[in-house]
Amino acid sequence: MPQPLPDWGSATPLDDVSRQVAITGVGEADHSRASGRSASEIALQAVERAIADAGLAPAEVDGLMTSAGMGAQLAPAEFHSHFGTNHDLWTGPGGGMTWAATAPHAAARAIAAGEARNVVNVFSVAWASEREQMEGGPGAFHAAEPMKAVFELPFGWFPQPVYFATIARRHMHEYGTTLEQLGAIAVACRRHANLTPGALMHDKPLDLEGYLARPMLVDPLRVEDCCLISDGGAAYVMTGPERARDAAKPPAWVLGVGEGRSGAGLYWSQQGDFTATPQVFSAPAAFEMAGIAPAEVDVLTLYDPFTIVALMQIEDMGFCPKGDGGAFVEGSRLHFDGGALPYNTHGGLLSHAYVLGIAHVVEVVRQLRGEAAAQVPGARVGVYGGYTGHLASTLVLARD
Amino acid sequence: MDLPRRMPDFPLPDTEWAPGRGFFEAAARSELAIPRCAACQRLVWYPKPACPDCGGRALPWAPVSGRGALFSWATVRRPLWKPFAEKVPYTTGLVALEEDPRVRLVSLLADCAPEELHADMAVHAVFRPLAFADSDRALVVPFFAPTR
Ligand SMILES: [Zn+2]
Repeated sequence: MPQPLPDWGSATPLDDVSRQVAITGVGEADHSRASGRSASEIALQAVERAIADAGLAPAEVDGLMTSAGMGAQLAPAEFHSHFGTNHDLWTGPGGGMTWAATAPHAAARAIAAGEARNVVNVFSVAWASEREQMEGGPGAFHAAEPMKAVFELPFGWFPQPVYFATIARRHMHEYGTTLEQLGAIAVACRRHANLTPGALMHDKPLDLEGYLARPMLVDPLRVEDCCLISDGGAAYVMTGPERARDAAKPPAWVLGVGEGRSGAGLYWSQQGDFTATPQVFSAPAAFEMAGIAPAEVDVLTLYDPFTIVALMQIEDMGFCPKGDGGAFVEGSRLHFDGGALPYNTHGGLLSHAYVLGIAHVVEVVRQLRGEAAAQVPGARVGVYGGYTGHLASTLVLARD
Repeated sequence: MDLPRRMPDFPLPDTEWAPGRGFFEAAARSELAIPRCAACQRLVWYPKPACPDCGGRALPWAPVSGRGALFSWATVRRPLWKPFAEKVPYTTGLVALEEDPRVRLVSLLADCAPEELHADMAVHAVFRPLAFADSDRALVVPFFAPTR
């Protein structure tokens, strides 16, 4: 087995913010295929619903976190114009992907410093509507990376489904992972989406037999292994400990946050450990901050652009030994009702909506409140794992 | 560092872009070349301004054997991206070089069916023109074929 390279990656040092901030409101915009809606319009719908869920008036929201990387930005001016407000808004980098997990860390710091009291983090995309204008679809921004442009694109190693098919193939070689095991992840997500109102694949069942009968897209991956493309968004409201205790709904406390990065950046081809994710750096740090072990997690949501990315993160976060992910996810082990590790209980990026992880955090909060459609009985501790390739992040949440 | 230009016959690359030029100059002579640190001899891939091991800044392009092991691959069976739609099905992947398996080259597989491929099998560089239906250029680049 190849040893990881010395420049494989590292964890970002983060101050302990355990129990200094809680999520007290969540909201999703409507998820859809190409809709003609703008990303700001979608973001405002999500923010409006999250604020209402938190029992706040728009004027009480004094912090706004929007996409640090990509996707739409919701400008403070748009917030004010929509809600008819004009107060000062603290702003910070947030949004989806890995930032959906790390935004609470920045918000906790801002709240502790007295810069804000109620902070909303929002992310939205209109990529289904914008797809035709993007090189390789959502792979667009990758095409501009210089080494990819010269040494990868001319050789057809583009866009993302090709990278992850290559990674899956190597994982199958090193660890004996099978197509049936990848399929079990897709089937679990689909079953959860079938139970979740508003999920794009709500009305489309998929069993393992059906999965295996589907054609290869990029062998060894099928369309069913890949995320959807959709328009949609979500938001969540964070507040400090005193206000959280008086919130309209039970708070979801932030127990731990982690972030890890790959030394190879966006060059997956050169990643130090080709069949792993920077969760190997992020998750242990988050669990340490939270003071819990992976075995104590009741529900897990993972940024899941491809089944193989979920499988690798499950291993890298310590839910099973590296290489055992295939056996770990088999059959109904990820299902909400009796599975060993209930996973992406809303359907994930594969079957719920492609809103880049923000709805995954919303789902964890709903699970901890007992409000989820595919509810895990008695869920107390929930985790979201974010992933962009060069970054991974981990958010540990718990109810009282 | 300047960025590579987007060529009219994209996705063919900007072969004049300074950090990558030596690769395409060697390929035109049917040679595979990789930057090698003059101080410590490490092969450095992708091209970087300095050697990650010793910081050496002299990294001349050095010929390598072209032999390697197929690290992993993917067979694109349905069009995903317009420029390569005409080549579907095709197999692209990563080759770990014999001289230093930490160097993983992205390449297209040639002279084989996907069913014949297995991880870590011996492959070697073969130099072939890469062209697209609407490009005027046919650029000679290394493909990799199974070593039988
Ligand atoms: Zn050196």
